Amino acid sequence: MQPRSNAGDNKPPKKYYSARKKFCAFCKDKVTLIDYKNHKFLENFISETGRIFPARVSGTCAYHQKQLSKAIKRARQMAMIRFTEEKKRIS
Amino acid sequence: MTSRYEIGFIVTPEVNEEEVKKIIESITSTITKAKGVIENLDEWGRKKLAFPIQKNLEGYYVFVQTEVDGSVIATLERRMKQMEKVLRFITLRLDDKLKKSNKLTKRWAKIDRIRKKTMDSSRSEEKESEDFTESEEETDATEK
Repeated sequence: MQPRSNAGDNKPPKKYYSARKKFCAFCKDKVTLIDYKNHKFLENFISETGRIFPARVSGTCAYHQKQLSKAIKRARQMAMIRFTEEKKRIS
Repeated sequence: MTSRYEIGFIVTPEVNEEEVKKIIESITSTITKAKGVIENLDEWGRKKLAFPIQKNLEGYYVFVQTEVDGSVIATLERRMKQMEKVLRFITLRLDDKLKKSNKLTKRWAKIDRIRKKTMDSSRSEEKESEDFTESEEETDATEK
């Protein structure tokens, strides 16, 4: 989004911006069943340390977030996705 | 009552492929004996585990999709627990999930249809106001 330009006066453009609206990745592709076996896809919704991203970060809708969290937990049980991973420290 | 299930399990990497086949056969035979149907059987083969299980870094993944009675699944679970060669297993009932997904697909189809209708109607109205001849031709094409 471009900041609002005030052509007439010399005021600087407004600092705050309106964030781009996020869309549910599953609603967009019309995914109805999230499979735990598709672990490479599920890794997009996991942080570096292995946490599940909250819905407000990833933008998934409540319906799909529920299924996604369950699928990730199942994938963890079957050792497809790590539970945790230590943070890489920059020495 | 039969319903659809999905069984997944990991076999230790120490065993040969023949022994893996034996384990798969023992599971499939119990299903077929109880008049179950094996719909799909996919072996992923040896894969690296995300974390070591009982000091094993690799595992042999097998997934079976079946349609059997629920009591058979219970016996299979009990047996897999006792098997030392099976590291992990998971059983899921797919019936309710498929029902839900079908409902969703229907709902989405309905939404799409309504959206298309509104889009078409709005478009046609615009064009009618501009040119009468063009709109008539378009409606003919859509009917065909």
